[in-house]
Amino acid sequence: MSLAAVTRLELRRLAVRPLAWALAALTIAWLAWTFVLGLGQFLGMQVKLAAVADAPGFTDLVAIPLLAELVKLSFLVVPLMTMSLLAGERRTGTLALLASTGLAPWRIVAGKYLAVLAWLGLWLLVTLAMPLVVGFSATADWGKLAAATLGTALILATLAAMGLACSAATAFPAIAAAMALIITLALWTIDRGAQAAGVSGGFLNWLTMATHLQNLLRGLVTSEDLIWFALAIALSLILATRRLGADRERQ
Amino acid sequence: MIDTALLNVAGVSRRRAGRTAVTDVSFSLNRGEVLGLLGVNGAGKSTTLQMLAGALKPDQGTIRLDGCDFVSEPGIARRLLGWLPESAPLWPELTVEEHLRAFAALRGASRGDARAASDRIMERLQLGELRRRLAGVLSQGQRQRLGLACALVHEPALLILDEPANALDPVQVGELRKLIRERAAAGTAVILSTHVLAEVTAVCDRVAILHEGRLRHDAPLGGETGGKALEATFFTIATGAAA
Repeated sequence: MSLAAVTRLELRRLAVRPLAWALAALTIAWLAWTFVLGLGQFLGMQVKLAAVADAPGFTDLVAIPLLAELVKLSFLVVPLMTMSLLAGERRTGTLALLASTGLAPWRIVAGKYLAVLAWLGLWLLVTLAMPLVVGFSATADWGKLAAATLGTALILATLAAMGLACSAATAFPAIAAAMALIITLALWTIDRGAQAAGVSGGFLNWLTMATHLQNLLRGLVTSEDLIWFALAIALSLILATRRLGADRERQ
Repeated sequence: MIDTALLNVAGVSRRRAGRTAVTDVSFSLNRGEVLGLLGVNGAGKSTTLQMLAGALKPDQGTIRLDGCDFVSEPGIARRLLGWLPESAPLWPELTVEEHLRAFAALRGASRGDARAASDRIMERLQLGELRRRLAGVLSQGQRQRLGLACALVHEPALLILDEPANALDPVQVGELRKLIRERAAAGTAVILSTHVLAEVTAVCDRVAILHEGRLRHDAPLGGETGGKALEATFFTIATGAAA
């Protein structure tokens, strides 16, 4: 019950926060432009593609690149959306007030996480609506699109959990955003050094976020990738909860 | 008395920023009792109140609220406790009404109950006209009243007020005193932390004085002569003459 109250409270705050609306408007406009450009190029290539056996279709050339663009934007958007969730509340003193209502730290973390997930879910749905509208009148590879959507949703959920953990670690939203950005970018490219040295596979490759998204964007859903995302989300939320619980001891 | 008290604080100590902020503080509080907590700046009042409100964990000692250990069972706070911190922290982007409904819901009220409770407290604290106003544009006095309403919206058994008269005008201070006495008469235990001795003599049944983190005085106020006696006691302790 109180978990739902925290989620409702956070959703209400997101709904009236100019940052959320500005980010949504600007990114959706950018994604719509990307989609129109991609669709134009795809239509222009129709004659050439018709002559190629097993040629990539609408899903490969328009829908999945659009989702990949959303993933790119999310590295900036998600830290901005999560930076104030706990850091801002700690700074203004409302976090202590929330704690005084008897809410367990995990309820505060989970409630805020669900609220930001709802916002990100809407963001993904609006973006997805663009290829879906065209896809229904064209020949889309629905299985591949579903896998790519799952991958994008998991990336958003992972970035949100990591952003929340960073927000729990400090009282300064800007520092939380910078931390989240650096950590997620590092995790995205952590195997680059190994690849440059000619080493592929291994632990660093497994640790890299990009490895697991690329499989899903190719339409390949494996339990290994799903487990990686689940672990990353769970670990981040546990860290956020523990840090919040430690507030009562640290101050 | 210990067994029937609503709040029992026993041997509570807490270090903050590398120094001892509160040392071995013990007291109890009955339902309907108003305790004034006095002390100079840095005496440990806010730290003590934050521990009582569950925002800080004591390093040592126990806090029992209605017989339950407050530290190991923090859920009790939701039902029993209302806290107005010193600066009345609020969410600037939410309205007065949204604050009150949110605080009622966070304490476990259903949507209908939260609406009824927020209407009730808005009427009592004359916040009705401000119900759709954002907290971010309220005056300091209005913020303080909203903070007080948030602390009272679930009708707590223990009300903790940290400098509640900050930024209130004399009429509002009079209203606040009346409200505190009214809640006490209804059985609410109140802890009132303040720098203003007159506020304590006007509404409190008992006074506790903290100095350098230690509880140096805890006694009932003595009728008409209580004010002068309290002033003498406070200055004796604050200037170190009683050390």
